[in-house]
Amino acid sequence: MIVVRVVQTGDVDALVALAHETGPGLTTFKPDRDALAARVERARRTMEGNAAPHEAGYFFVMEDTATGDVAGVCGIEAAVGLEQPFYNYRVSTVVHASQDLGIWTKMRALNISHDLTGYAEVCSLFLSPRYRTSGVGGLLSRSRFMFIAQFPERFPQRICAELRGHFDANGSSPFWRAVGSHFYQIDFNAADYLSSHGRKAFLAELMPRYPVYVDLLPEEAQACVGLTHSDTIPARRMLEAEGLRYENHVDIFDAGPVLECHIADLRTVRESVVVPVEIGAPRVHHDGQRALVSNTSLTDFRVGVAPGAPEEGVFRLSADDAAALDVRAGDTVRVLPLKSKQG
Amino acid sequence: MLFVRPSRLADLDALEHMARTAQPVLHSLPHDRRALEARVALSEDSFRAEVDFPGEEFYLFVLEDAATGKLLGTASIVAAAGYSEPFYAFRNDALIHASRELHVSRKIHALTMSHELTGKSRLAGFYIDPSLRGDAAAHLMSRARMMYIAANRKRFTPEVFSLLLGVTDDAGVSPFWEAVGRKFFGRNFADIEVESGGRSRTFIAEVMPSYPVYVPLLPEAAQRVLGEPDEKALLAYDIHQEEGFETDRYVDIFDAGPVLTAQIDRAACVARNENRVVHEAAAAAQGPTYLVASNREGRFRCVLADLSVDRASGAVLPAAVREALGVQDGDTVRCVPLHQATQNEYSGEAQ
Repeated sequence: MIVVRVVQTGDVDALVALAHETGPGLTTFKPDRDALAARVERARRTMEGNAAPHEAGYFFVMEDTATGDVAGVCGIEAAVGLEQPFYNYRVSTVVHASQDLGIWTKMRALNISHDLTGYAEVCSLFLSPRYRTSGVGGLLSRSRFMFIAQFPERFPQRICAELRGHFDANGSSPFWRAVGSHFYQIDFNAADYLSSHGRKAFLAELMPRYPVYVDLLPEEAQACVGLTHSDTIPARRMLEAEGLRYENHVDIFDAGPVLECHIADLRTVRESVVVPVEIGAPRVHHDGQRALVSNTSLTDFRVGVAPGAPEEGVFRLSADDAAALDVRAGDTVRVLPLKSKQG
Repeated sequence: MLFVRPSRLADLDALEHMARTAQPVLHSLPHDRRALEARVALSEDSFRAEVDFPGEEFYLFVLEDAATGKLLGTASIVAAAGYSEPFYAFRNDALIHASRELHVSRKIHALTMSHELTGKSRLAGFYIDPSLRGDAAAHLMSRARMMYIAANRKRFTPEVFSLLLGVTDDAGVSPFWEAVGRKFFGRNFADIEVESGGRSRTFIAEVMPSYPVYVPLLPEAAQRVLGEPDEKALLAYDIHQEEGFETDRYVDIFDAGPVLTAQIDRAACVARNENRVVHEAAAAAQGPTYLVASNREGRFRCVLADLSVDRASGAVLPAAVREALGVQDGDTVRCVPLHQATQNEYSGEAQ
């Protein structure tokens, strides 16, 4: 069974190996042993309740229990922007109108904002190309919502996810060329690296202090505002199916969209149920039905996809799956029935 | 013999013709005859009024050919720009964006709507008949206003400004308007120019950007014309420079044409003024060309005349010039060299 579980100290070697598969672009998951060890340690302190609010963050790995292969990671920051500011542009609407001249024009303006301060953030998702088969990415992404559903007291009211913005065929961001490059005076990757490593002082020093009129930018840059990178479109669909929405916040570098919602409105939070487990073969009449299933343990949280659906207040797991999820008959599990095609 | 004088109601036909002919439009001269008449009446009142500080006065001048009585040009002074409404311009500010950690520093310019020019005296409404040859008439028409200001300091602010036409292409399209104004107005520049009637109307507050506009984010074509005079305004630019006007950090909100400003104290009309006594003569003196103005009992006149550089020799003027100025032997006139001396104190120095 492929499970997503809470990271353990012993995973660091496997994480370094996995990070070598990332290539350029994902700045938060690099093959840097010290950084990864610190991240694992931070997740451990968070679990134990010893992390200050500004550093609280959860980190999960995806493991093939048959082989012990670690093939994916994902994370949740409990509350962003409590130490270093969390910057976005808020896309506001500006109307100019004159009755005398019969003029009415509407345009968008980008305002530097800290609106999302204190939001939880789902982040750092990476899945090894070796495992990009149907359903695995969905499990990895949604495992975090299962965790949040199980431990809502550990999270604030709202959650967000930053998505990569549009890059042209040359791998360059038209929005960065039109806006960021003039202000930050370094290249995109350098700016992105500094920002994602907590060195955000330059942002405050260099960012535009006044709103930026979108309509005055070159058209290709205008089109970038809120546009998702083509590689990230499946991730966006997944998050939108979960209930997150684009609410006019975008990234300050590439203008990629931020999706956000109330945690109480997450599909997984609303629709998952907690039921006792029985061990046995899947019922025949559940053929084709599958569900996300997690245990209810904090420190050994595990989630995977199992066949079946809750019936008469019970979920039936095969002995192998129960072992992979570290549950026994009579334990309770959290179950989210998956709609067909989803997973 | 050309001379400049205040306009009067009898000039209305000629003014109306000029107002309709002028390209681009003169906001100080409405096309509508009744509105134009009101402007001329306001000007007459303004010249007559006892004024202690600038207010709603409007001074309209015309260029007349003494031989034919024909009017060949006009120009005006607005005593206080945007007297009853704010006068809008973009102020071009430099913002420093520097990071110690990254060792970078850059000046980023941003255009902010400003009312700073409100209340300052403004040269406006310049028009010269295209049939006039050479630049002399344009110099006379334009700078006669400064001669009037120099003789009537209380009527104007210590600093005056002038808005020059910004760059437009052959089709009358302004690259700056396309990049900025059009986005807010959704209309053609020319339409707005005609409808709007100036830079001090309240609709500007309703329609133009309330946040600063970052210059580096604009298209290159718009950045290039920022603060640049159009080809058609190059002569006007030179004339203003000759008078001592300098570019400031303001540009026009529509076409980004330059705003030129001058401190009256330091402008040629004051700094280089010589009061000279008129001497009658049959022929003109030999010497450089001067702006010569008289302001006897409020009857302002200004001409171009050649004078000896020797100030003590006075203003030796032939009859036609004296008549145009309305002066006689023994009267005092203001005389300002039309051009800066070609040999100024810097010209001999090594580059």
